[in-house]
Amino acid sequence: MRNAALFTAAAFLLTAPLPPGVAKEPAPTGSAAEPGDAEVAARSEALEVAGAFSNDGFKIRDGHWVDGIAVNKPKIIQVNLFAGNQYWFIAAASEKAKKIAVSIFNEKGEPLLSEPYSNARQSAAGFAPETSGPYYVQVEETEGEPATFCFLYSYK
Amino acid sequence: MSPRLSVATLLLLAALGAPLAAQESSSSAPSSATPASAQPPEPEPSAETPDTEPTAPAAPLTSAELGNAFRIDTLTIPGPGELMAALNKGSRPNWQNEYREPIPTTFSSRAQIALNVGGLIADGYIALEAEDSQQVKNIGKDIITLAKSLAVSDSVIARGNSIIDFAENNEWSALKEELEATQNEVKLALEQQHDGDLVWLVSLGGWIRGTDAVSGWIANNYTPDAARLLRQPAIISLMRERMKTLPDKVQADPLVENVTRKLDNLETLVSFPPDAAPTLDDVKKLKEATSDLVEEISKKEAK
Repeated sequence: MRNAALFTAAAFLLTAPLPPGVAKEPAPTGSAAEPGDAEVAARSEALEVAGAFSNDGFKIRDGHWVDGIAVNKPKIIQVNLFAGNQYWFIAAASEKAKKIAVSIFNEKGEPLLSEPYSNARQSAAGFAPETSGPYYVQVEETEGEPATFCFLYSYK
Repeated sequence: MSPRLSVATLLLLAALGAPLAAQESSSSAPSSATPASAQPPEPEPSAETPDTEPTAPAAPLTSAELGNAFRIDTLTIPGPGELMAALNKGSRPNWQNEYREPIPTTFSSRAQIALNVGGLIADGYIALEAEDSQQVKNIGKDIITLAKSLAVSDSVIARGNSIIDFAENNEWSALKEELEATQNEVKLALEQQHDGDLVWLVSLGGWIRGTDAVSGWIANNYTPDAARLLRQPAIISLMRERMKTLPDKVQADPLVENVTRKLDNLETLVSFPPDAAPTLDDVKKLKEATSDLVEEISKKEAK
């Protein structure tokens, strides 16, 4: 039953318009693709990773962030986490990116150890905070051309 | 095959129980900063083997980077379900004790309606944690009624009906997802109606009611570990920032004015050092402050 709900939620995420507050992606420069194709591709890739974590009981938050990304121009988002929960922060980029990385920082900006997962244009960081409060997640492109990425997270 | 079809197929396989994840992390025993048991997806045959080796820590973020970090309503503000999930780890709260009386569902101020939609979504989480299908159905109906008064009804009504259906069938896991999706559907509809400023009020209403319920339980079952969950300074700080950006007309709404003023006090109550735990008295003060706000927000003639 949970998986059926996951399927419904994932299908909704793929077809729904961007939620409020979500940064719109810039159109990929020089792309012959239809506007939005890069976004759909990035969201699909991110959901593919998140879907696998869902098999372990992680709930995907019904929100995502789509934006442009380029090498040496990382994007950072603030999240607020609770001690005791476990999180996976997931990012995936459209085809122009070759490799991306996700890193987690505490509220002072200090890097934290996390469980890494990286498969070219898909990357994730697993983390179980010991302290509740604000954290920062950085998504960076380490190889490739300017692209579109999608970020989301799941928790349990 | 389009990417959309590809992921749908993959998730369908997951729904059917196909083994998706078999990739063992190459790291040894998980550290305390590592979620146990999560397994990343199996790579496609053509893909390179995923890298699960710990990498060198990134460079620290500068204060400018911290200040310029994105803050997005649907990701930066945790949902009530996340807070409750954390509390459920160390205890088995009786969430029925945190119910409140049904609230009115006819308000004239759109700001007040937005705050109450958020509050009702939090009520929905409380009811589903209690696995109380009748209560969830009642709340689902109230959400639909309020949504209608915001004239955002079509998509939200469909969601509200799903909530009622899932509750009917005791599908608790699906309900969690549906509640958050409903909240986001309301926000999306508000944006589409050029009422995007009210989106943050939905989140704020949910945060206040969720914190009211959780602090109430902690106040009655105090432990330092549970009390530490209430540390959420950045959320209130962000809410206060957003309240300042509301249109003058919304800011002048007596209820919004009052809520904004009281956020100062709330920020103090949820801001404490990472290694400290609020005392029982502190938790009680937070419970009192959020309960007052919850009551005020749901009052028919809010002053």
